[in-house]
Amino acid sequence: MKKIYTLIILLASFTSVFAQSGSHTDDTDENLLRAAVRGWHVRVGAGFNLGGTSPLPLPAEIRAIDGFNPGLHIALEGAMQKQFGATPWGIQLGVRLESKGMSTDATVKNYYMEAKEADGGEIKGAFTGHVKTNVNNRYLTFPVLGVYKINERWSVSAGPYLSWMFNGSFSGEAYGNEIKNELGESIGVDAYIRDQNPTGEKTEVTSATYDFSGNLRKFHYGVQVGGEFKAYKHLSAFVNLQWGLNGIFPSDFSSVTFSLYPVYGTLGFNYLF
Amino acid sequence: MKHFLPLAFLGAALTFSSCIQDEPLNAECDITGIDSLWLSNHKAMIIGDPIVTNTTVSVTLKKGSDRTQLDPKFYLTPGAQIFITGEGTPANGVVRDFTAPQLYTVRSEDGNWSKDYTVSFNYPRPISVCSFEHYALDASGKFYQWYEVDASDEQNPRRDYWATGNAGFAMSGMAQTPEGYPTTPNPLGVRGNCVCLRTSDTGAFGASTRMPIAAGNIFIGEFKTSQAMLFPRKATRMGLQLVGGEPVMLIGYYKYTPGEVFYDKNKEVVEGRRDKCDVYAVLYEVDPAKFVPLNGDDVLTSNRIVSVARFENPEEPKEWTKFELPFVMKEGKTFDRERMDNDGYAITVVASSSRDGQVFEGAIGSELFIDELEIVWK
Repeated sequence: MKKIYTLIILLASFTSVFAQSGSHTDDTDENLLRAAVRGWHVRVGAGFNLGGTSPLPLPAEIRAIDGFNPGLHIALEGAMQKQFGATPWGIQLGVRLESKGMSTDATVKNYYMEAKEADGGEIKGAFTGHVKTNVNNRYLTFPVLGVYKINERWSVSAGPYLSWMFNGSFSGEAYGNEIKNELGESIGVDAYIRDQNPTGEKTEVTSATYDFSGNLRKFHYGVQVGGEFKAYKHLSAFVNLQWGLNGIFPSDFSSVTFSLYPVYGTLGFNYLF
Repeated sequence: MKHFLPLAFLGAALTFSSCIQDEPLNAECDITGIDSLWLSNHKAMIIGDPIVTNTTVSVTLKKGSDRTQLDPKFYLTPGAQIFITGEGTPANGVVRDFTAPQLYTVRSEDGNWSKDYTVSFNYPRPISVCSFEHYALDASGKFYQWYEVDASDEQNPRRDYWATGNAGFAMSGMAQTPEGYPTTPNPLGVRGNCVCLRTSDTGAFGASTRMPIAAGNIFIGEFKTSQAMLFPRKATRMGLQLVGGEPVMLIGYYKYTPGEVFYDKNKEVVEGRRDKCDVYAVLYEVDPAKFVPLNGDDVLTSNRIVSVARFENPEEPKEWTKFELPFVMKEGKTFDRERMDNDGYAITVVASSSRDGQVFEGAIGSELFIDELEIVWK
């Protein structure tokens, strides 16, 4: 909810800036004009991030994805774009405030996990059952894109990006569903962990929560490709795909054994000054 | 544009779900039970249920029955195979001599894992004096377990009659050595070793599973590790059909120091409450054809209880102090010797460092030492 309010406020302030620019000239407009003279065109945009933070490819231990909620994740971006002379080529530098996240519910079989608690507790083993994961990471992202104008309306872009995660959470629950006998009595759950490895002592798991927020990596990089459609003189719609190239956890982090890569699509609008 | 975007996301979702790989072969290699047909064919010679742990199978046989040519058949993890340890020949239903315990090896369907099982067929030995001299590390080498010894059964003397919650505590990952577990051996007994029960902190894992403390406990029966998290009280299956007569007295020695701070089940401090230990024995009726043990939920309340000997007002002696607890018959119950001869009774003896440990209340650090427990039979 908080996120929605922030978005509304930001959009409102953009609108007021646009409204002002129509009536009188101020410093901002002069700066924009000066930039435009040098060939840099400024734009601001807003969109939704939709995607997953996922191992790629999905390991065989993941047997089913039972639930997926993309959540509401906003990206706000300001960028400068410059065309190289009369060629269709250009460059775009941006800064983006965004969150990337999702919730999943997966069924796993013989999934190795390891957890070290701050108080010294240590759990290792092969888990079979269900895992819920909630990811919500906030980034300041700096994309550097090459732009190719196909025609007056369409353009495509591609390039690397660098992200700094200033706030992140990665938490969830390993759980089991009750199994009932024909009399309706609970006789067990469909989840268990085996100590150390598949030969270890077996313990059925009703629910155990985890929180690896403190272990998340602060810097990410990846590549971004996208397309933009200029619907009006000042307004365009865009879609892009951001593919993370380093995992969200450091490589020596053993609680989640496979690397999880953020792969997100953004869908939104730009205002072109 | 309008139509293109939803399609793109649908495409992405399909790609995502098509990424589920083929199911790998099973990696587990368990004996999950003894074949029910085999059991019903041997009903006349077997007492109670076989006890199957992660590495052992033990069956109690009626005294005098022949165990030199038995061909037990086991249920295994789907796809797993069972062999005579050291030999490559399949061993399910193969005749073996169980005068001494026999070893089996189970190999997983994917071939990557295997596990050895010790399978024993034992004659019962009624509980008498328990001195806690016999203990060993469990198969994982993480914690201790206690057993009784039947010296008359030369090649197969070990009787795993005692159980503890140590295997459940192992899940918390809080103990790095066997000495860090709630139930440990101690050399300073009344005579020889004794057992030390200590209420312990289960840490973050325990808190996340709403079991913030673990009382040190030891009891006659079976600890069903697999159910420890789901039904922590039902997992303590108390009692075995090891009755040697009508029990009249539970005798033993104890020392007790309560922990400093008492916690309730939400791990909130309870001011002014002092921890107390608990020692009791319960004799109860069982159906010889279908053994259902009492458990942590009903061990003191079931209507199958015949008599109870319980320490009502334990104190905090720093030196070894003897206790003598008489068995008190429940109203309307009698002891029937014929029923006993038909294995119609079971008995359990329970000791715990926190009296309300079964509901996860107690003081971390409470320590109960127990030695020379004895049941006096009439």
